[in-house]
Amino acid sequence: MPRLESPKALVALRVKARGQRAAMPQRISVCGGTGCVAAKASGCIDALNAAITRHDLSSKVEVQVTGCHGLCERGPIVVIAPQQYCYLGVAAADADEIIEQSIIKGRPVERLMYQVDKAERIESQDKIPFFRGQQRLLLEANSRIDPRSIEDYIAIGGYTALEQALFRMRPEEIIESVKESGLRGRGGGGFPTGRKWETTRNAPSDTKYVIVNADEGDPGAYMDRSLLEGNPHSILEGLIIGAYAIGANLGYIYVRQEYPLAVENTLLAIEQAREQGLLGKDILGSGFSFDVEVHRGAGAFVSGESSALIAAIEGQVGRPREKYVHTSVCGLWDRPTNLNNVETWANIPHIINKGAKWFSTVGTKTSTGTKVFSLVGKVRNSGLVEVPMGTSLRTIVYDIGGGIPGDKRLKAIQTGGPSGGFLPESMLDVPVDFDELVEAGSMMGSGGMIVMDENNCMVDAARFYVDFLAHESCGKCLPCREGLRQLLHILNRIVAGEGREGDLELMEELCETVATTSLCALGKSAPNPVRSALKHFRSEFEAHIREKRCPSLACVSLFHYHIDAERCNGCSLCQKNCAPNAIHGEHKKSKTIDQESCVKCGACETVCPPKLAAVSKVAGRAAPKDSPLLRQKTG
Amino acid sequence: MPSQQTLAQTEVDVVVVDDEETIREGCRMALEGEGLRTETAANGALGLELLARVRPRVALLDLRMPGVAGMDVLKRLPDIDPRIVPIVITGYASVESAVDSMKLGAFEFLTKPFETTQLLDSVHRGIHRWGTYAPAQSELAPRRAKQTQTLKSQEDALLKSLEAAEEYAELGGTPTALADELRTLETQADYHTRQLGVVHKKGKALHDFVADLHAVDAIVSRHQSKRSALIQILLDIQSQKNWLPSHMLMWTSRRLGVPMGRILEVATFYEAFSLTPQGRHEVQICTGTACHVRHAPELLATISSLLGIKPGQTDSDLNFTFKQVHCLGCCALAPVVKVDSAYYGNPSMKKLKEIFARCEKDAQAEGEN
Repeated sequence: MPRLESPKALVALRVKARGQRAAMPQRISVCGGTGCVAAKASGCIDALNAAITRHDLSSKVEVQVTGCHGLCERGPIVVIAPQQYCYLGVAAADADEIIEQSIIKGRPVERLMYQVDKAERIESQDKIPFFRGQQRLLLEANSRIDPRSIEDYIAIGGYTALEQALFRMRPEEIIESVKESGLRGRGGGGFPTGRKWETTRNAPSDTKYVIVNADEGDPGAYMDRSLLEGNPHSILEGLIIGAYAIGANLGYIYVRQEYPLAVENTLLAIEQAREQGLLGKDILGSGFSFDVEVHRGAGAFVSGESSALIAAIEGQVGRPREKYVHTSVCGLWDRPTNLNNVETWANIPHIINKGAKWFSTVGTKTSTGTKVFSLVGKVRNSGLVEVPMGTSLRTIVYDIGGGIPGDKRLKAIQTGGPSGGFLPESMLDVPVDFDELVEAGSMMGSGGMIVMDENNCMVDAARFYVDFLAHESCGKCLPCREGLRQLLHILNRIVAGEGREGDLELMEELCETVATTSLCALGKSAPNPVRSALKHFRSEFEAHIREKRCPSLACVSLFHYHIDAERCNGCSLCQKNCAPNAIHGEHKKSKTIDQESCVKCGACETVCPPKLAAVSKVAGRAAPKDSPLLRQKTG
Repeated sequence: MPSQQTLAQTEVDVVVVDDEETIREGCRMALEGEGLRTETAANGALGLELLARVRPRVALLDLRMPGVAGMDVLKRLPDIDPRIVPIVITGYASVESAVDSMKLGAFEFLTKPFETTQLLDSVHRGIHRWGTYAPAQSELAPRRAKQTQTLKSQEDALLKSLEAAEEYAELGGTPTALADELRTLETQADYHTRQLGVVHKKGKALHDFVADLHAVDAIVSRHQSKRSALIQILLDIQSQKNWLPSHMLMWTSRRLGVPMGRILEVATFYEAFSLTPQGRHEVQICTGTACHVRHAPELLATISSLLGIKPGQTDSDLNFTFKQVHCLGCCALAPVVKVDSAYYGNPSMKKLKEIFARCEKDAQAEGEN
């Protein structure tokens, strides 16, 4: 393929690509994001292709594998064009029916369409409540293009912003525009992007670097991954524009190796862009040269911190350094380096295309634009949600997320990952933006949003985050390394029912020390989960310490499983499903659990037929098998 | 007195006589893993019987056993077959017992508990001793020659040789001398075949070693020998070998001019690297926040009891490595388990059993090939 040597050639390619797509209006889009692949989307794709061949329709319809659509809970997702029928939870066995009904006859397959609680089925994606409540600026293209095809991206208007920036804007104008848009860093800190760019541009050096931070380490957050997997060219385009504005000729994309598909699609996108002349020397004949390298992260949460990430690119152990001199002045190889999160870069083409003014009207005054959240945990519609900044938690969890499954009560929402905090039900109406969340005692973070219901224990959740952070602390600063270890030690004691009076005060004191004396953001923000849990759910901690009781029956040491002899009909299902063989009793006779060997996996409770419900959690440590007290408790 | 002594003693390499089943079976597994044919006996009396029947090269004898003790077996060993190399194992080591057993001709003295490598070292040395020792026993030659004549059934090759010997005798030669010579040759040939096996094994190991170093070279040059690409290079080695063998790290160190200390610093800092061999199958459980709130800890307990290993461990057959990871990024399926490259959302116990059984079958098939 010849390189595109002028903006004209790019336009010509776009016209050609659009023509090709218009020639084949019928299209079956299957989500190939990791969530759907995990739900066996590959089998669907093969089955659909086989069905197309069988019906001899290869010249009329094609299967397009796209990026993540967002509603991962209901994957694999299939969309039929041009009617836009949206099918959820599709299996390979449905392929024939889809081809016969939707492609040959043009009719929808009703049973595969969205439905909640026997309500009317919904035909197209944009009418499903999950999608209706969103403003999908960044994610929208994910469901329309094949991430492995640069033509697809160009056909929907990709690289127009690059053309605009290279040929009709001066670098200063671009920076001005980004500043005016009010875009703030999506990685968590929320630092104004335009100002960061300006500092790097003005820093004295001939060599400068730009970096995409795709080291998405927050457990429970995967929006960066979906963007890189589903639309890698949009990030590349943003990066090239940024490099031009800042004056960098080399960029790095730092992506976790745990995301193999993201690595693969990014490498492919770079190769395609190079072939087309959108990367490399003299891009589109503008005289500007820029290239990108991919660095795979080897698995360390702290590597997401800018100076640690830079150390990792230099091939060293990723430990943060003091930042009295910012990385934007002295970063990679001691040169000025501008580092932004994936989502930040993906916003750039939209700011250039639609204008800074338009962008600043989306969202709130101090937090503009949209934000992608990964809404996960105890919520009906887990998935990726993109909403304007300032949308309330209630809208996100209930209107878009569909509420809590099993109509359980919401207990808390955790935002900001391990550096964020818990927000109790009373704060559901907080508008989600950078400043409001900090005000509420949490933070934006990279956009993880974990919903917890009444069955989740807040002490255990706080312990979970401290455990994670203690493990991920790089060990450079003593307060972070040892302080977190001590915090974990205390929390472990509390969840084991061995908490002591004064533990809570001790933890508060420790939190204060860790937060004020650590070097980097990992340590500084590490106490947040504990602090916010203590603030909003202190009574749960007290129940663990004083009554040796876990109110949510979630802490393994403070409950046990019990089989009600009167309810048990001896079906032996629990016995068959007990991995450690801890359930005893003859067939057709009621069973007992040997508490010594029980690992509390809960398999017995899950498999016990609901009409019997003989297995239940009982508070407290296991009592002797024939304790009369125990019978009273379970009724 | 030895009766019906046979010449070709190639059926069984090692006999283990011990009253502790764990020791017996442990030794058997370790030895058979090395390709050594092994038989066991649970007490001294059975041991004597077995030794007389199979005539191994090496006998592992426990000193303390109810009934006929190891020392008694040791005493009677020369009568059964003087070539058997006795190795004594005991849980109650004392200088006296060591000296006594050595006086009775024990070749080695192993104290319980011993490492597998110790065991294998001793047995290999014993076998080597057997090979060099047998032909040198000149005082036994007349007795053996007599036995040769009473031989009824033997390996084809030897029979033919003996027929030839008879023919030779008819022609006026001395058959015993020739048979003796043949036997010596046979023993030597056997010894050399074994040595050849060892050489082949060593050769293969060396070949693999060199191939590994070539692989490092290829990876390093793919990254233009840049020191800054160290993490990327280690990731490539890790994905190729599934762990970081030390010879490959040393070679990397040499090729890049980065000190080994730096390499180990990086290799131990990042989660992705493993300095010990990993199982053929990787079972990952996601314990990210979304999975944690959706019962990942319970699932972890189930898998742990099914596989018999804790997170971070590899089972002794190198079948499975069980890992706990923070977020695989498919939170909608929480709790998620990833086995090799396949993802499973909240798998039932039955499903897990199926998956693991399939993996084990694969591993067996691999072993057979």
